[in-house]
Amino acid sequence: MLNSLPRVMLLRLWHSKQQSKTLRTQIGACTQTEEIPFITTTADTDPTVEEVRVDMAGMKVASMPVELVTSVGSCVAICIHDLTNKCGGLAHIMLPDSSVFPHELLPSKFADTAVPALAQKIRQINGKKAPLLAKIAGGANMFPNLRSDSLSVGEKNIESVKAALAAHKVKLLAEDIGGTFGRRISFNVVTGVVTIRRFKGEIKKL
Amino acid sequence: MSEEAEKNKTSKIGKEDLGVYTCTSNTCMEVEILLEIGSIGAGHAATSLSEVLQQRVLIDVPKIHNIPVHQLPNFYHRHDAPTTAVYMQLVEESECDILLLFEAEEAKKIAAIMTMTPNPDEVEASMKQSALQELANILIGSYLSAISDFTGIRLIPAPPQWIEDAFDAIIDNFLIKQAMVSNQALVFDANFRTADGNANAVLMIFPSPHLQGLLIQKSMDLCGIPIKQDGPKLIHPENETFVVCEISKPK
Repeated sequence: MLNSLPRVMLLRLWHSKQQSKTLRTQIGACTQTEEIPFITTTADTDPTVEEVRVDMAGMKVASMPVELVTSVGSCVAICIHDLTNKCGGLAHIMLPDSSVFPHELLPSKFADTAVPALAQKIRQINGKKAPLLAKIAGGANMFPNLRSDSLSVGEKNIESVKAALAAHKVKLLAEDIGGTFGRRISFNVVTGVVTIRRFKGEIKKL
Repeated sequence: MSEEAEKNKTSKIGKEDLGVYTCTSNTCMEVEILLEIGSIGAGHAATSLSEVLQQRVLIDVPKIHNIPVHQLPNFYHRHDAPTTAVYMQLVEESECDILLLFEAEEAKKIAAIMTMTPNPDEVEASMKQSALQELANILIGSYLSAISDFTGIRLIPAPPQWIEDAFDAIIDNFLIKQAMVSNQALVFDANFRTADGNANAVLMIFPSPHLQGLLIQKSMDLCGIPIKQDGPKLIHPENETFVVCEISKPK
């Protein structure tokens, strides 16, 4: 079984064993109840950098070299990066507006609460008020054939994310939004590079 | 807010929301009823699956789980797995979303069996799509007709939609819909297996609150259980729940 694995994956498996302890302690601001630390699926990104999966409606912030990974369809992944302090975080939002759900405990579920929460966590890590840069991806319309009167959930999410970024003075650097396909997003928190792999295999770097 | 306070908060969610549904007073009966209805549907679906594939299909005892909507991707843990799905919507008074998800490889094999092609890779894309839509029509149709016969509720499916993408990307559209009304998801699990493991699929059902209420009420009528004056109580009174039925090969 092990012999049939590609070299890169073997390297990652070894690497994950070496680093698992330190990584767990150093990733802060985890709003997820369950932690699945390492997922090794593709090799679009640097194989020596570990991948950490961010759940749906989850948020993670890190200041060491990791790839924060998530898969989105109509959801939107917000990657916020602090270039001067080399840290950043990723939030996977599901819904545009939190005002309908006053008792919701997860700020990372909604576009309007996820942006300030993520920005605050990043500032907690670096301790300084450095300018934050954002890259967003997702918001697809997975079933374009279905007729609908209003905007699709994906479009609503994107609108809301952009409004929230503008309101909290986070500059939107790049985006890969819309379409009718899912995206796998991996965000290198140190370099700030976002690698997006579409389902058909197309790779895009932001 | 300090980090500790936040940790306590998240751990609180985990304790309350995770795990198998436990029967407590009022809601036990309703859960049992939904489980029973789901089992009847699953049984019929297994029969039609067996007829289509010309193979013996076995079925495990169904289970019900109660988990938060946003933890469903982790529950299945398929994330980026290439998935082929057929989506059907129930129209008119009983609104409902139904998703039948196959692993892409399994879908190929099933399409090959249905089109009598010896090599799964030789099946044309359009033929595969057509075959799987047909299978979904048959499977979901038998599921619905069993439920409809049992409860006497009219269930009318719209034509199926076909999609091929990563597992998480497909289901998140429906989870968003679900999250708009409810935090919790009621998950119904049933395992089907065939001799050579060609039926690894998940059937997800998202009934509207209206349909859920109807199902419970009609079944209670049938069982001769008197309904309280304020009507049947739902598991999440103001919310939707959905039922998931998993068809997969044994581990």
